[in-house]
Amino acid sequence: MRRLRALPLLLAAGVGAAVLLQGRAGASDDDPLGYVVDRGALREREVIERGQELFAVRCVSCHGDDGAGIEGVAPDIRGQGAAGAHYWVTSGRMPAEEGEPNQSPRKESPFTDDEITALVAYVASLDDGPPIPDVDPGAGDLARGGELFRLNCAACHQAALAGGALSYGRNAPTLQPVTAVQIAEALELGPGQMPVFDYFSEDEVNSLIAYIRDLQEADSPGGFSLGRIGPIPEGFVAIVPGLGLIMLFAVWIGLRRRSEPVSG
Amino acid sequence: MRARDTRGEAFVAGAFIISIVAALGLAVVYIAGGQTQLEGVFLFLALGGIGVGLVAWAKRFMPAGEETEERGRLESTEEEVAAFTADFEAGERLLGRRSLLVKLAVGAFGALGLALLFPVRSLGPRPGRGLKTTAYAQGPIRVVTEDGRFVRPAELAEGGLATVWPEGHRASAEAPTLLLRVDERELDLPDDKMEGTVDGIVAYSKLCTHTGCPVGLYQQAEKLLLCPCHQSTFDVLDGARPVFGPAARPLPQLPLGVDDEGYLIATGDFDGPVGGGFWDRER
Amino acid sequence: MTARRRRPHRPRTPLTRSTARWLDNRLGAAGFARKALDKVFPDHWSFYLGEIALWSFVVLLLTGVYLTMFFEASTQEVVYRGSYEALRGVEMSKAYESALDLSFEVRAGLVMRQIHHWAALVFVAATTVHLARVFFTGAFRRPRELNWMVGVTLLILAIVEGFAGYSLVDDQLSGTGLRIAYNIAISIPVAGTWLASLFFGGEFPGDQTINRLFVIHILLLPAVIATVIGVHLAILVRQKHTQFPGPGRREDNVVGERVWPTFAAKGLGMFFLTGAVLSLLGGVFQINPIWLYGPYRPADVSSASQPDWYMGWLDGALRLMPNWEIRAWGFEIPNPFFPGVLLPGITFTLLFLWPFLEARFTKDREPHHLLDRPRDRPLRTALGVSTMTFYTVLFFAGASDVLAITFDLSVNRVFLILRVLLFGLPPLSGWLAFRLCKELQVWDRPGASEEATVPGVRAPTSGEEVRREIAPEDEREEPASAGVPRR
Repeated sequence: MRRLRALPLLLAAGVGAAVLLQGRAGASDDDPLGYVVDRGALREREVIERGQELFAVRCVSCHGDDGAGIEGVAPDIRGQGAAGAHYWVTSGRMPAEEGEPNQSPRKESPFTDDEITALVAYVASLDDGPPIPDVDPGAGDLARGGELFRLNCAACHQAALAGGALSYGRNAPTLQPVTAVQIAEALELGPGQMPVFDYFSEDEVNSLIAYIRDLQEADSPGGFSLGRIGPIPEGFVAIVPGLGLIMLFAVWIGLRRRSEPVSG
Repeated sequence: MRARDTRGEAFVAGAFIISIVAALGLAVVYIAGGQTQLEGVFLFLALGGIGVGLVAWAKRFMPAGEETEERGRLESTEEEVAAFTADFEAGERLLGRRSLLVKLAVGAFGALGLALLFPVRSLGPRPGRGLKTTAYAQGPIRVVTEDGRFVRPAELAEGGLATVWPEGHRASAEAPTLLLRVDERELDLPDDKMEGTVDGIVAYSKLCTHTGCPVGLYQQAEKLLLCPCHQSTFDVLDGARPVFGPAARPLPQLPLGVDDEGYLIATGDFDGPVGGGFWDRER
Repeated sequence: MTARRRRPHRPRTPLTRSTARWLDNRLGAAGFARKALDKVFPDHWSFYLGEIALWSFVVLLLTGVYLTMFFEASTQEVVYRGSYEALRGVEMSKAYESALDLSFEVRAGLVMRQIHHWAALVFVAATTVHLARVFFTGAFRRPRELNWMVGVTLLILAIVEGFAGYSLVDDQLSGTGLRIAYNIAISIPVAGTWLASLFFGGEFPGDQTINRLFVIHILLLPAVIATVIGVHLAILVRQKHTQFPGPGRREDNVVGERVWPTFAAKGLGMFFLTGAVLSLLGGVFQINPIWLYGPYRPADVSSASQPDWYMGWLDGALRLMPNWEIRAWGFEIPNPFFPGVLLPGITFTLLFLWPFLEARFTKDREPHHLLDRPRDRPLRTALGVSTMTFYTVLFFAGASDVLAITFDLSVNRVFLILRVLLFGLPPLSGWLAFRLCKELQVWDRPGASEEATVPGVRAPTSGEEVRREIAPEDEREEPASAGVPRR
């Protein structure tokens, strides 16, 4: 009985942890755009110092004492600003654990929101760099965003956000999990293999964000979306379950009965 | 046997009943405004019910399939062939007496046939210079972005990529151009090609030299342009030379300059025909 | 009027009977109709594959007519004002707009569009599987070489018709495919640029392209395909269907079911079942979501750009082909010509010629109405499996970028692997198929003496003992195909 009483507590803890974890890496209900950090606190001295401590533990081994980078290991991040630090840390791509940093995969951030705030504050203090952008997808034009997306983004990230292969093992990741702020930051910075798209106006950025979010939430009126990558899964479905099922019917038609059929 | 009778009949009846109900369902869904998945499922049941019913009926209640039919002779008999040949040759001989007329008739048919082919020529223009030049050939012309803005070199950061067109030709299918900025010191172009760059900004045709797809992917850290259609890969620093995939020729380069007001211009056409190759591309 | 007038009692003729009599008085068709109804068709399940293709085509016609009532094959630019928000305000052709309207404004329009597209994919798939059945059972041998060639023609027509159909919509994906087709056309030596210009009405994209594709897709090719199907069926009826060997089945007869009522019921049932599955696909699986791709723009493209499945082998060949070109005296034969024109040319030429090639090789010019089981012709089966493997690898090559990203491989490595498999796997699979045939022949031998002899299989040398070792169920592995009927 004692165990059962503890159950709701455990459930609540589990749910709470899930909510908390959700808030670390990305957007949540009260932070739909994915700011995560407390932007007002970014200039506070204690926050920057806390960030420096965290940096010393988690980042220095690759990026060097002052973020100047280590040749052949990790780049100079001093000009990345708050935007850069925010992008890389909230997406969980930093700290890089395995593989090359240029293609460090998206994952759950190991830091709490406060820790992320501190790290961002510290990296922003290293040198002048872009601040965390203000985004307002509501002010964007959905259709314009779509046109910009299809011209500039779909080639790598695919028309329906599924991502795409680059060469020599690199790829452009799926945009399904990205937050509004991360989109704006990625456009500004050109992180990793991504080109720099800092020439978009604020309206264009907001429009792009609006379109991407629309795609993220879009349902599939035609039925199962099959990954939204087009003719490949469609062909598979047509041949294997489609023609396959019809062929099963044909087999049924051709099956002989064990006994004589009843006439009439 | 009676038990099987009833069960078999019940099965067929059931199938038809399902079909009727599904057809009604379909009507209801349609009247209610339509819903794609329900439409598909009800159609499946409506059509499938009839199909299953018919097949089960055939399998259970119709003759089983040990009927025999003689194939008979497929080829005609010698007599039939002889009779045909005789009749045909008789007619042929009649025609053959007027051999000049036969020849002229054939000639007339042939000439008419050939003449009727000529309207095909109207289907399209003679392939011309258009395949080898683009709107950039008109002379120094500003490049514009997708919404018609001119471009200043400073607007494109290092690592940046943009698609531009010649001013006034935003709808052109062969003029889309890639503007990329790299570190000028890394560019490995011959001198005359370097003149066509501006502070590390280099312009290449966006159309792949394999089958003309837009080369939309840019692997910024390695300075590689990648075409999504067949994975041709081009080295930006080396004149967009193909380094992987089926493309055999580099992306043509567009010579750039800056006009008096500081906007990027194309100083001439691409240094080769854009898009896929063709027989007389080099002539 | 107080008394009811009595009409003289006249036996009423059912309407059907009186109509039939009316027709016969004018056509004299009773004898012909009787012969038609009495015709016998063998009933092996694999003989229904051609029917599946046929019924898919009928579904295409029915749904196609419906779509034609709404589709506008016009390249005139309009601004979208429909209910799909993400495209509102975007400029597009009327063709694309009408396809969007079909998907979002017309009630049941989306399910019709999707059924139509799924039916096209299944049509070509069924045709291909049917072709494979005909190949592996030797049904193309004399006197059916003619019908084989008619069938291969149908396959080509179906592929072209499908390509024309999905290119009508003027979306980004199909427009990219059209551009590739244009470039393949101009790669043809000497005449290429002319052919392309005549078809596209100039340079790509041309403002006549959608219209011409429309004429081809709704008028020319359906008429040609329907006619060629008619010829295909007419030859089939004239020559009577082939059958597997079995009790009572000889070269000079056909054993099976009469058209009326059994075969007609089953055939009609097959139509409804095919339509049913296609409808299920059309409602439950999204296909060609053109609103996600956007209208065609010459400078846009998406990753994961593939043609519909039946052209995947061509796309794969275009990718895997090393970047060789031929250049001499200022002329060139560019790279896409080899995988894009030469390969399909050779493929279909060999396909057309196969019955004659095999007849020359085996020196067998006798008519055959009894089918081979694949195991009875190990060499042909091995060649067929080998060839199918080659094209299957090409199909996978068409998905190279999606394979790379799905399995986290470098796309360059995927190319290398597929190139090796392209030439390494067919001999291997052919050899395996050959050995499998021989093995199955060994399994057969104990049972072979019980039934009518199957050509190509040697009579068993071992006696009762071997028969007892193999349980009866094993002999039934391929139901009905071993000529062992289920009673």
